[in-house]
Amino acid sequence: MEFSELIRTGRAQAELLRGPEAPPLRGTLCVTSHHLLLSPGTEASPDLWLLLLRSVDSIEKRVAGDSGTITLRCKDLRVLQLDIEGVEATLDIARSIEGLRLGDAWHFHPPERYYQRVARETNAWRLSEVNEDFSLCPSYPRALIVPRSVDDHALARSAGFRQGGRFPVLSYHHAPNGTALLRSSQPLTGPQKRRCAEDEELLRAVLVGARPGARGFIIDTRSAQAAKQARMTGGGTEAKAAYPGWKRLHRPLERGRPLQESFVRLVEACGDLEQSMDRWLSRLEGCRWLEHVKEALSTACLAAQGMEREGACILVHGAEGTDSTLLVTSLAQLILDPLSRTMDGFQELVEREWIQAGHPFQLRCAHSAFSHARPKHEAPTFLLFLDCVWQLGRQFPLSLEFGEGLLLALFEHAYASPFGSFLCNSEKERGLCEVRTRTHSLWSGLNQPKEQRKLRNPLYALNPLAIWPSVEPQSLRLWQGLFLRWTRPPEPSETAWEKVWQIVTDSEKTEGSA
Amino acid sequence: MVGVSSMASASAPKCNSHTSENEPVKSTSQDGVNCDLNETVPRLPGETLITDKEVIYICPFNGPIKGRVYITNYRLYLRSLETDSTLIFDVPLGVISRIEKMGGATSRGENSYGLDITCKDMRNLRFALKQEGHSRRDMFEILTRYAFPLAHSLPLFAFLNEEKFNVDGWMVYNPVEEYRRQGLPNHQWRITFINKCYELCETYPALLVVPYRASDDDLRRVAAFRSRNRIPVLSWIHPENKMVIVRCSQPLVGMSGKRNKDDEKYLDVIRETNRQLSKLTIYDARPSVNAVANKATGGGYESDDAYHNAELFFLDIHNIHVMRESLKKVKDIVYPNVEESHWLSSLESTHWLEHIKLVLTGAIQVADKVSSGKSSVLVHCSDGWDRTAQLTSLAMLMLDSFYRSIEGFEILVQKEWISFGHKFASRIGHGDKNHADADRSPIFLQFVDCVWQMSKQFPTAFEFNERFLITILDHLYSCRFGTFLLNCESAREKQKVTERTVSLWSLINSNKEKFKNPFYTKEINRVLYPVASMRHLELWVNYYIRWNPRIKQQQPNAVEQRYMELLALRDDYIKRLEELQLANSSKVSSASTSPSSPSQMMPHVQTHF
Repeated sequence: MEFSELIRTGRAQAELLRGPEAPPLRGTLCVTSHHLLLSPGTEASPDLWLLLLRSVDSIEKRVAGDSGTITLRCKDLRVLQLDIEGVEATLDIARSIEGLRLGDAWHFHPPERYYQRVARETNAWRLSEVNEDFSLCPSYPRALIVPRSVDDHALARSAGFRQGGRFPVLSYHHAPNGTALLRSSQPLTGPQKRRCAEDEELLRAVLVGARPGARGFIIDTRSAQAAKQARMTGGGTEAKAAYPGWKRLHRPLERGRPLQESFVRLVEACGDLEQSMDRWLSRLEGCRWLEHVKEALSTACLAAQGMEREGACILVHGAEGTDSTLLVTSLAQLILDPLSRTMDGFQELVEREWIQAGHPFQLRCAHSAFSHARPKHEAPTFLLFLDCVWQLGRQFPLSLEFGEGLLLALFEHAYASPFGSFLCNSEKERGLCEVRTRTHSLWSGLNQPKEQRKLRNPLYALNPLAIWPSVEPQSLRLWQGLFLRWTRPPEPSETAWEKVWQIVTDSEKTEGSA
Repeated sequence: MVGVSSMASASAPKCNSHTSENEPVKSTSQDGVNCDLNETVPRLPGETLITDKEVIYICPFNGPIKGRVYITNYRLYLRSLETDSTLIFDVPLGVISRIEKMGGATSRGENSYGLDITCKDMRNLRFALKQEGHSRRDMFEILTRYAFPLAHSLPLFAFLNEEKFNVDGWMVYNPVEEYRRQGLPNHQWRITFINKCYELCETYPALLVVPYRASDDDLRRVAAFRSRNRIPVLSWIHPENKMVIVRCSQPLVGMSGKRNKDDEKYLDVIRETNRQLSKLTIYDARPSVNAVANKATGGGYESDDAYHNAELFFLDIHNIHVMRESLKKVKDIVYPNVEESHWLSSLESTHWLEHIKLVLTGAIQVADKVSSGKSSVLVHCSDGWDRTAQLTSLAMLMLDSFYRSIEGFEILVQKEWISFGHKFASRIGHGDKNHADADRSPIFLQFVDCVWQMSKQFPTAFEFNERFLITILDHLYSCRFGTFLLNCESAREKQKVTERTVSLWSLINSNKEKFKNPFYTKEINRVLYPVASMRHLELWVNYYIRWNPRIKQQQPNAVEQRYMELLALRDDYIKRLEELQLANSSKVSSASTSPSSPSQMMPHVQTHF
């Protein structure tokens, strides 16, 4: 967690001078990731004094003898003076405030960071800034990971051949056998079955980079029929002859309005307390939500199996490559990559594979299930992803470092949030709206120490293996914690969660004290 | 290429990288067949090997496997002859409900000649045998003989079992102690020995709790008006408001609408044990149609005219036949192949969860009436040994946290089911070959399913875990223990079951750790009301579909395993801490005599548990 790293010292004794009008305050000074807190002693007024660190405009420190003084000048023109006991404490607090007032978690998970990991594993890939100004692809981030042997010029050509400019980029590098998971949008073959040499070369380079003679699979998330039809509107799918070594598989996933309708029907069914409950199961089945969960998970398994078992490279795309494509690539990573199952790794995954990868959150999550507005672009793709992750967690209760709490929080924040992470539809829009400078990142909010108990899985133990979920309908469950959240008291499950934490902390304490 | 294209067509990945439980047990000897059989077949004291045969086991999940089957007087045991002589299964013969021959002398197809064994625990076992040498006839006869010993005048294995445990499960339930725990007898309720020789009611226990104001003669007259003499007796009393749960069978009203003054008076006496009560609540577990229909065979229900001070409600729970057919349908959709395409609506069409819901709803109503102090409750169905037992025991489980401990639950089963004459022998058909007997029904399984549903909804309320419930169900059929044998206490006494057999609770209580729920938090006097809505009920996949390797959870009980480790670690440290404190205090005391060791003093260590 980056914020806590910036905090040099937690607390110190201090006196606060707030100008001539207000009386000075004495007490314990605390620095948290967002606030400066002064807690007066018991004898004084019980009120806490609080200052948002972001409002600090400048900071000045002086030390004399065994105490120091920090002067804070705030953006609202206030001037505050803190007299602090201890030279070290003064310097540490000054440095902490210095770091934190500018600190924002917006550079928490840049694609560069994932590239550093990939670069440690292989040199077949490079970081390209060809999309620096978003001119190639408005829905991609500035930097992208691409085959080393493909130059930016070729990327530009390939982008021209793919819908919305989403040329194939690396989504995940599977270090154990050097295979790669890529994503893109559909190729613009059109009715004339156009081809693009650079696009073909790019995919060839992927195979060569993986292993001589490596093979690849293109998982098209549309039916063969739908892919063919897309040619009429300028889209299409990769012709077999044009991409030697690649084989195409069609795994249709529900998207768009039908998915939204499924979500609406499910929420309706869950909230319908009047209806005779004898028909509940067939009604649940009629919503088809669990079917979508099953399809998403099994397609992700297919991609993961192709990499892990067949040693093949995988390219996933549908039409735009911003919805079911991301669903498949992110789930496949969770199945294969133990790092993505950690708290940090999962947040990075969501940031990289959903937010930066250009899932249009603004459009998809404009309305949830209750809105009477005629749905336009709404679709609960991200919720479906969270549900699939929940199913993974249920089947592998020790393998995910985070718990249901984090998934619920992500669901809430995706639809409405005081943080900026899920705002806008792409990195480009986020830049234009100055999201990074004008809002806080969700991750910094979630990573507050007080939130950890709700979000973390106390039972987590690193599982280095792939986790293959069972996708039989008997193995999948309605996510009660989300869909039935408001219709039953959460108390028993919360007690259980509390109990788990208690046992774990007790055990740790005993281990520590013995 | 083959791999992925087949992979692409398969609807689901079939790989489980984490199956850890029930993993085939590696045999210790390498050439399992020819070496000493004593080593390859695990045997209980008193278990003897009858025969072994080479067979082909037709596994519904992995195809035919060549193996050797061992039959003892207790179990059927199969070892693979293909891979490392792994154990394929180990099935107590008591689990078998039916043995059929498949294929005849003219059968030609591969593996079409053999045996098909239907089990009571949701699976079938099929073997293919060679046509030559009467091997099928031999196996069929031996299996029939030992799986259905009663038909061959042989004893059930429980009477041959010589296992020894360091605790005696038969001591778990002592009715006097249990009633004393409930604060009985008191001013309103007395313990009577009127049924000491089972003369009042053959299927009731010897010891009963009845209203203080009802004389033994009253009881006899009431018995004449209740089906099979099962008079209303106390099951449970609320420790504070003194409302009671009373159980019985239906009144013998008949077509003519007979009345019985003594019965009417007796119910009024029960009501008056709580002075402020104006009405006694009667829950008839049946659907009202069935209750009316029962009049034709002499039964019926308490009418408003005859019982002014009682209010009767029907709980709409169906009879044993409906339950049996429902479970049959569940088996159809889960074994051997699970229904894929319309799983939820198929599950709905079995009505199994709906029955579970009705049983739970009924029990919640009973518990709520009593707990809220609104009324005492009388529960009956027809004979008062199936649905009645379900309702009283589940309501007691909701009301009384004692029954949620391991021993408390054993006492609950022992009391409300075993001692009050739930006809285990008839419902399960122990050692009986008549697989189509209309008396068989999964009533007790349904009760355990309800308990499991509750434990799912209240993860911290029960001391026992899922394994405990599954173990009980496994030994419901196994005939290894005497616990569930026979139909009632009088029959058990006649057969001296407690002297001649071992109790299941001996096995469980001598290894309690295995059956403990790590999340258990003891809470006294907390009433549990499970949500009995269909939305919150689930099929108990870990029981009903446990034989299917594709459905098996990848980390079965992993959470519990981890917790057991943590708890053991904690206990270990507490022990060490205590030892340290002990050592320390002895040092302190020795320090007072020898002033040379004050530096050894340690601060008193406080545990935070």
